[in-house]
Amino acid sequence: MTAPYSPEKVFIDSAALSYPLTGKILEKLPDVPAEVVPDATDLAAWPALGPDPVGEGKKYLHLAVQKGGFVKPCPCTPGYIGCNYFIVNAGLNCPLDCSYCILQDYLAGPFVTVFVNLDDLWRQLDVFIARLRGGTCRIGTGELTDSLVLDPLTGLSRNLVSYFRDKPGVIFELKTKTANVGNVLACEPAENIVVSWSLNAPTVAATEEKGAPPVEERLEAAREVAGRGFPVGFHFDPIIRFPGWEEEYARVIDGLFLAVPAFRVRWISLGSLRFPPSLKAVIRRRFPATRILQDEFIRGRDGKFRYFKPIRLELYRKIVGMLTCRGGNSLPLYFCMEDEELWREVLKKRPGGKENVGHFLSTPVRQVIAKS
Amino acid sequence: MKPIKIEKIVRHGKNGKGTIMKLGLGDINLGDERFRTSYFFPLDPFVRSLKRVGLVSPPVVCIRDGSYVLVTGWKRVLACREISLSPLIVLEAEEKPDLEMFLLAFFENLATREFGLAEKAEVVRRLEGFGETAEAVVRSYLPLLDLPADRAVRDLLIKLSRTGDDVKKFIRSRNPPLPVVRPLLELISEEQAFLVPWLLMLGRNKQRELLEDLEEIEARDRTGLQELLASPGIREALVSSSLPAVQRSERLRAFLREKRFPLYSSWRESFEKARRGLGWPEDIGLAPSPFFEGEDLTVEFSFRSREEFLERLGRLEALASKKDFAGLFVFRASREGK
Repeated sequence: MTAPYSPEKVFIDSAALSYPLTGKILEKLPDVPAEVVPDATDLAAWPALGPDPVGEGKKYLHLAVQKGGFVKPCPCTPGYIGCNYFIVNAGLNCPLDCSYCILQDYLAGPFVTVFVNLDDLWRQLDVFIARLRGGTCRIGTGELTDSLVLDPLTGLSRNLVSYFRDKPGVIFELKTKTANVGNVLACEPAENIVVSWSLNAPTVAATEEKGAPPVEERLEAAREVAGRGFPVGFHFDPIIRFPGWEEEYARVIDGLFLAVPAFRVRWISLGSLRFPPSLKAVIRRRFPATRILQDEFIRGRDGKFRYFKPIRLELYRKIVGMLTCRGGNSLPLYFCMEDEELWREVLKKRPGGKENVGHFLSTPVRQVIAKS
Repeated sequence: MKPIKIEKIVRHGKNGKGTIMKLGLGDINLGDERFRTSYFFPLDPFVRSLKRVGLVSPPVVCIRDGSYVLVTGWKRVLACREISLSPLIVLEAEEKPDLEMFLLAFFENLATREFGLAEKAEVVRRLEGFGETAEAVVRSYLPLLDLPADRAVRDLLIKLSRTGDDVKKFIRSRNPPLPVVRPLLELISEEQAFLVPWLLMLGRNKQRELLEDLEEIEARDRTGLQELLASPGIREALVSSSLPAVQRSERLRAFLREKRFPLYSSWRESFEKARRGLGWPEDIGLAPSPFFEGEDLTVEFSFRSREEFLERLGRLEALASKKDFAGLFVFRASREGK
C-alpha cells in the first residue's frame, strides 16, 4: 500500500481557518505542525531557494480558499483534438512525484493545496450544471491533482459522489494512480460516477512514478470499485517507449481485464509522452537517471515535445490491438491530445471536433443510465 | 592631449568613506584577486581612454595581509599596467570584512554596467566564498543580477565559475543564454575545449541544438564525443581544409542531429530523395509539414506575372502526372508499417 500523505507542516490561510474541512483535515494530522498565515502563496518563493523546489513544495500542505472558479474547461492543447472535458479544481499539486508530471512546471505555487470552501464549490457546480440545460458533460477532479491521493485526509470523494449522484446528465470522474478507495467503497455506486486509474507499464510505474503504488495495486483497487458497482475507466497516459514495452503493456492489459469485466469500463484513453520544452529542464534536473527523454521527440503543433509520429502510431496501434483483442471492439477508446490522422488510422474514427469526442464518450454512459 | 593631472589629494577623516591617495602600481598586489569578477576583457578601450583623459575615476583598494589589494577597477588598473601608468590615484576604502568590501565593489558595478554571465558566476562564487549562504544568494542576489531566484540557476553559476578558461572565454565573448551554458558545462573539459571553436561559428539556437543533441546521445548510447567522432566521414569533414570552418561546424551539427534523431533523419533523407527523383525544380519549394506531424505538403514559388504563374503551374502539373508523384505521399505516419 502507498504510505498515506503526511506533510511536514500545514500552512493554513487565515481565510481558510473557519471552514469545516480545515478542522477535519487537521484532526487527521494531529502530529503535524500547523501554522496560520495570512496567505501561504506569499511563502511560495522560499522552496525555490533550495536545490529541489518542486520536491520541497510537496512536503507542505496548504489549506486555502479557492478565490477563483472551481470549474473550468480542460485546456487540452492547441492543434490537437480535445475531448470536451471539464475540470473541478478542488486542489492543486500532488504528493506523488512522477518524473514526467506536467504539474512540476505548470503550477505557480509549490505546495500541495486543498481548497476548503466547499460551499462555494457546490454553489458553482449548481450554476455550471444549470447552464448545461439538460445537456451532458464529463467532468473530473484529476487534472491538477490526483483525485484520491488526499482522500484519506479530506474525504472529499464522499461529498463529490453524493453531490453528483443525482445529476445523471453529468458524468463525474475520479481519476487516480492510488489505491485510496476506502471512501469510494463506502458510497452507494451510481452509473454516472466513474472511477478511473492511470496505468502504465510496471517498469515505468516503478522508475518514473515515485510514490504511486504498483500497477497491480491500482488494478486491485479497480477490481474492488467495479465490484462495488461503480463504472470504471483507465488512462494509459503517458505511454512510454522502452525496451520491452510491448510485453509489459500487454501484461498490464491482461491484468486489467482480469480485474474488471469489459462491460464495466466506460472509457480508456491513450496518450503518449509529451511535455513542454520548459519541463525538459525540470525533469533533467530532478530525475537525472531517467531515460524517458532519450527517445526521438519532435516539436508538435502545440510546441510541446512528443514522439515522432511513426513512433506514436506504432505505440498506439499495438496497444489498441492488445486492448481490443482482450476487451472487444466496442471498448470506448479515445486519444488524449492527438490529431485526426491518428484517430482515423488507429481508432478508425473521424472525431471531428471535441464536442463529437465528448458525445462519443458520454453516450454509452447515458445509455446505461437510461436502462437502469 | 596630455592626461589630466590630479594635483590635489583629499584626505578624509575617520568618519569619511575612505582615503584618496597616490599609489604606485607596484604597491598593489594584483595577485590577490579575491574581489575580482571580470576576466578575459579587451583592454583597448581602457587604454585608449587612459591615453586620452587619464585615470578619471579612482580604483578602490584596501589592505589585506599587509598589502594593498584591488577592490574595484580591475579593468582600469590592468590598462594602466599595460601602458605603465603609475602612480595611480586610488581610493583606500575604510576597513571592513571581505564580504562588505566585496559588496562595495558589487553594488558600485551594478549601478554602472551590466554583468555578463561569466561575471555573474564569479559574483555568486565570491559571495558564497565570503560567507553568504546559497539561499541568500538565490533570494537576494540573483534577482539583482537579472536572474530568476532559482537554486538551479545558482548551481549552474557555481559550476560555471569553476569551469575552464576556454568555456569562460566563449561565454564572455558570446554571452549565450543559460540553456546553452547548461549542457556545455555537463561536458568533460576535453570535450568543451574541442567544441568551443565550433560553437563560436554557430548561432545561439544551433549552439543549443548541438549541445543538447550531444548530451542526449551520450546519455542514451553511453558514449563520449571522441567515440562519436570516430564515425566514418565526420572526422575527415572536420579537418578538411577544402571546407570553410563555418560549413564544417554545420557538418558537425548535422552529424549529431542525425545520430540523435535517426528515424526522423531517415524520413527527411527519403523525402529529399523522392523530391530529387521526381526532378522537382529548385525554384519551386516543396516541404512536408514540420517534423512530418501533419499530412499536408507545402509548395512555394514566386512569380511576377500571369505568364510566370502559369508556367510554374504547368511544370507542377507535369510533375503531378508522373507515376512517382505518389511517392511524395508515403511520408505520413499512417503509411509506416502498412
